[in-house]
Amino acid sequence: MAAEGAGMAAIKLEGLTKDYGEVLANDDVTFSVEEGEVFGYLGPNGAGKTTTIRTLLGLLSPTAGTARLLGNDVTDEAQLLAAKRRLGYLPDDPGFDETATGRAVLDLHASLKGDERSAELLELFDPPLDREIREYSRGNVQKLGLVTTFMHDPDLVILDEPTSGLDPLLQQRFNEFVRAERERGLTVFFSSHILSEVRKLCDRVGIIRDGRLVTVEPVESLLDRSGKFVRLHAAESIPVDALEIDGVHGIESDTGPSDGTEYAFTFTGDVNDLLAALQEYRLHDLSIEEAPLDEVFMRFYDDTDGSERNGADLTVGPGAASGGEDDV
Amino acid sequence: MFELTAYDGRRRVRGSVYLSIGLSLLAAMVIWVYPSFEAEIDLEGLLAAYPEPILQVMGVQTMTSLAGFLSFELYTFGWIIMLGLYLAYSTAGTIADDVDRGRMDVLLSMPISRRRLVAERFGAMAVPIVGANLLPPLVVYVGAELIDHPIAAADVLAVHLLSIPYLFACAGIGLFASVIVDRAAIAQRVALGVTFALFLSESLLSGTDAEAVGAIAPMRYYDPNAVLLEGSYDLIGAGILVAMTVTLLVASQAWFRRRDV
Repeated sequence: MAAEGAGMAAIKLEGLTKDYGEVLANDDVTFSVEEGEVFGYLGPNGAGKTTTIRTLLGLLSPTAGTARLLGNDVTDEAQLLAAKRRLGYLPDDPGFDETATGRAVLDLHASLKGDERSAELLELFDPPLDREIREYSRGNVQKLGLVTTFMHDPDLVILDEPTSGLDPLLQQRFNEFVRAERERGLTVFFSSHILSEVRKLCDRVGIIRDGRLVTVEPVESLLDRSGKFVRLHAAESIPVDALEIDGVHGIESDTGPSDGTEYAFTFTGDVNDLLAALQEYRLHDLSIEEAPLDEVFMRFYDDTDGSERNGADLTVGPGAASGGEDDV
Repeated sequence: MFELTAYDGRRRVRGSVYLSIGLSLLAAMVIWVYPSFEAEIDLEGLLAAYPEPILQVMGVQTMTSLAGFLSFELYTFGWIIMLGLYLAYSTAGTIADDVDRGRMDVLLSMPISRRRLVAERFGAMAVPIVGANLLPPLVVYVGAELIDHPIAAADVLAVHLLSIPYLFACAGIGLFASVIVDRAAIAQRVALGVTFALFLSESLLSGTDAEAVGAIAPMRYYDPNAVLLEGSYDLIGAGILVAMTVTLLVASQAWFRRRDV
């Protein structure tokens, strides 16, 4: 976490606003992505992630605020062009000429931005180059998109929901690839609506909701605070006060048709404390999973109970304090 | 430079070959029917029987020579109307369809300026425009020789060469529609409508008080009758068509540069 503003930011947004009249797609979004960092841009569908990305690429002009790519102002055509020479971009749903073959598309990209490493990338992601794009599956389009994004060996890549359409094996391969590229010094900015995807790759995470940036923080502190989703099936009912441990939120119980009682809650505390408290009860089953992103939003960032979210929850977790250096 | 033009151009070659063959067949057919037409029909009488507006719209001046016959059957109908509309329509699909189908994001993420993108895409329209004019002049010249109604080679060449700036101007109308309208299907309808309206305004209003309206129509500056019947080549008209094309291209670039895509 080097100091900001020293001109080292690969991406720098200041007060970025995009107003469509009926929708405020981005509202005063401010953050930076440092060089060499993998930054996850997280938010539910429709939160404004793609708007930020498309503004960064100069496809949309901001209503207010500024955006800089590798130090270049994206509203200045010459500067934007300079930035794009060092940029790779994979859109949400990449569009290629339907009647062109994958090879023809690659050739066009190579002629416009150069080709340093497509051979190597084709071994990794392997789209059927001799077929026409209209015969491609969604996954194949995504593979071709990944090759075109990285083929000119860019310094910065912007990926909009990169793993959508990839099967688990390829997702894995993609993750390994991104980690290796990061070692080589690549800066990655990618958007996602899936927390588990982000946690595997990112150094820091920015969360956007309804067009507003909610927080920017290191991924560990977010995970600490987002907590776990706990589901337990007890042989007999557990007294409520026995479960009043630090970090248990929104407990729900259900004495269903099966024997025993089921409990579900979100847990942000120490797992050992939880297990200690449960030790004296007989359990049929216990599962501790990462909280789904929606749950995280509901608990921490929902405006409707804003008073609560500013309470104890936000300061819980050892990493929380270090997340405050970026303006939110 | 011109990478995108080369790419687009290659992708338009096959269609342009078909276009050239189709137009050659049309040319061959028109020439083939002419001798029997001339022998068996009282052409002066036929001409007199048509209502004046039809003759005016179709640019019919005479049917008593092959040149006059070709001028309206092939060039007014085939080139001015059909090809003109086709190029306006086809060019209207370029930018708007890229935006429509999300291809523009990929294109514009590459180091290419919006102005260059518009110019290069437009430049690739040279393939169908020139392609359409490659085979038909040969067919017309040789066909006319074969039926013993020879036409001067220079006139045949000129009527095709002068159609090139005309067709570029029509493509320019399509390009402008393509940058101002988001959806390809609508851009194409707008381009067709505008081009056809310009054609009507020029052909119907000429000789009336409102003749000046037709001055913005590309059709005013390309006259197959003058070339084939009088051997006069309107180079100033061609210059005006080039100027129109450049104006439409520059306006399209300026518009596309500013808008959100």
